[in-house]
Amino acid sequence: MFDIDLFLQYLANGVVIGSTYVLVAVGLTLIFGILGVVNFAHGEFYMLGAYAGITAVTLFGVPIWLALGFVLVFSAALGFGAEAILHKPMKNRDATSSIISSFGLAVALQNAALLTLGPQPQLLRTNLSNVPVEIGPVFLPLQRLLIPISMVVLITALYLVLRYTWTGRSLRAMSQHATVARLCGVRVERVAVVTFMVGAALAGVAGLLMSSVFLVHPLVGNMIALKAFTVVILGGMGNVAGAAAAGLLLGVAESFTSAYIANSMRDIIGFVLVIAVLLFRPQGLFGKAVERS
Amino acid sequence: MAPLSRRHMLTILGASVAAPAIVRAQDTGPIKIGGMLPLSGPASIEGHQIILGLQFAVEEANARGGVFGRKIELVMEDDESNSTKGVTAVRKLIEREKVPFIIGTYATAVASAGAKVAREYKVPMLSGGSTGAVATDENPPGDPWFFRSWPDSNGQGEGTAQDIIRVLKKTKIAIIHDNTNYGVTLAEQVTKVAGAEGGTIVSKESYNAGEQDFSSMLTKLRTLRPEAVYIGGWAGDGANIVRQAAEVGLRTQFIGSGSMLSDDFIRLAGPASEGFAVATLYESTTPNEVGRAFGDRFRAKHKAEANTFNSLGFDSTSIAIEAMRRVGKADGAEIQKMLKSGMKDFAIAQGPAGTTAAFNAKGSVDFRCFLAIVRNGRRSLSPTG
Repeated sequence: MFDIDLFLQYLANGVVIGSTYVLVAVGLTLIFGILGVVNFAHGEFYMLGAYAGITAVTLFGVPIWLALGFVLVFSAALGFGAEAILHKPMKNRDATSSIISSFGLAVALQNAALLTLGPQPQLLRTNLSNVPVEIGPVFLPLQRLLIPISMVVLITALYLVLRYTWTGRSLRAMSQHATVARLCGVRVERVAVVTFMVGAALAGVAGLLMSSVFLVHPLVGNMIALKAFTVVILGGMGNVAGAAAAGLLLGVAESFTSAYIANSMRDIIGFVLVIAVLLFRPQGLFGKAVERS
Repeated sequence: MAPLSRRHMLTILGASVAAPAIVRAQDTGPIKIGGMLPLSGPASIEGHQIILGLQFAVEEANARGGVFGRKIELVMEDDESNSTKGVTAVRKLIEREKVPFIIGTYATAVASAGAKVAREYKVPMLSGGSTGAVATDENPPGDPWFFRSWPDSNGQGEGTAQDIIRVLKKTKIAIIHDNTNYGVTLAEQVTKVAGAEGGTIVSKESYNAGEQDFSSMLTKLRTLRPEAVYIGGWAGDGANIVRQAAEVGLRTQFIGSGSMLSDDFIRLAGPASEGFAVATLYESTTPNEVGRAFGDRFRAKHKAEANTFNSLGFDSTSIAIEAMRRVGKADGAEIQKMLKSGMKDFAIAQGPAGTTAAFNAKGSVDFRCFLAIVRNGRRSLSPTG
């Protein structure tokens, strides 16, 4: 007997978790698509964003909206610093250098968090969890509902920026062809910094949104980074819309796996999807095949 | 110019770190004893509670003048619940720090990996909270090198399963467990015993330690309407499950494994922890006088109630220190002999009144666990079945 109400509930659960994947993966795919940097420290942007939010709310008692602004600024600054470490000195080397150096940065940030913030899991206490929202048969606490809403707002804003501003235009030009973009007067260094700041800010906000629903601890970035890489590969490297679609797809796939197959299969399903996609569409679901010169 | 000067700086920094440590003569300075716990990583909540017990036992021993006229110094290593790091930590404690015994660790897999190494060096290990049966089952029968002064998880699972049916009067049981040795062992044991006691297991789900989102698994569980849900796993995950269960509207009696005894669990789970039942080896309200006295002294120092984790660390450490005092020298092999047979008169804080460090041939001490239930954000003991 198939229960449609339950099906919708699982779908909603999947969209919520998928939205965090989208926010983390979109930044990752931007950084990769525009700069060719494979950023293994992206999960740590998420983790530190969560901690920044918790600190703002618990220590300074600011409302959640201000905390969101604080996390945006903090994460963007983090992205600024990361660019100086991961991209500026290694621009002219191949991608392996960025893999190694970003992996090193990830370990450094994790241990810095362990030393300064301690290993105990933290939770952002809000009153939002006591506010139930019912949409037809689907039931979500308000703080979970905020995750997909914020995701849609942020990704729409990002899309508009990429589509209609000069900054966005130069970012797109860079991702199409770095050398030609430079010849046409795109300020490559500035684009690199902006890309990192935007990517880190998106991951940081995802961390903040998550911090009231799940637990935050210094190693929390590990799994989300893996999932984000899965999403980036599924969606096609450097493809923002692809990452958004693939992120939601992965979240929903995980939710259905846990509901209809077995929860123990949940973390495996993403990799099964990736292998299946790579077999039949090596450029990813939404990627374009590129000629390698 | 810049890279050169940076490299130069690094050389200077490196040199200052690698400055030779001053080696102190062992027989006049303090006696070093080893401790190894997960102070970071997924089981760090528990690790930070257990270490308080270790430190408390060492401080008390030192306040009584130490052993054979020398102070005791606790050397701690963090294993992050990782077997490789644990083995390295054991080697370091034995080779560099020359410790006569090691208290550790919390994760069974890490404890048994470390204990194999320690046994080769003839250094006994006393559990720092691990309850998996593997660690003691791997001991050569009759000659244990890994000691645990409380029952293994089979005993714990058995007691809990009986309590679910006899005390809580629930027969329709669902099981959620993590994929660690600890979670799997407990789930198997509860399944077996609950079946024998006349209960039915309606579902069994596993998750990876550190997983974040349980909403779909719990929504599915809600449709099965279990009377009780048993969680076998670590405290952080358990708190996450209980909180998310309240969010998806799963109302049932939750029972957790011994790791979920910490006050951190109650803090993280929030109001959702009300009515949560958990197997316990120790509460500060225990009927065991030794345990109650320990609880009073602990409260005086830390301004907080002693919990199972504090008592685990305290018992293991105080047993080992007492064995060393009886032997009269800091010698691992001699201490192991003493632990094997000579501690039957040494009363410990955990377990029912009159429990002593009477290790059996496997290196374990068997007694019946208590059941504690969370009421108004505090655990209180229930009669066991």
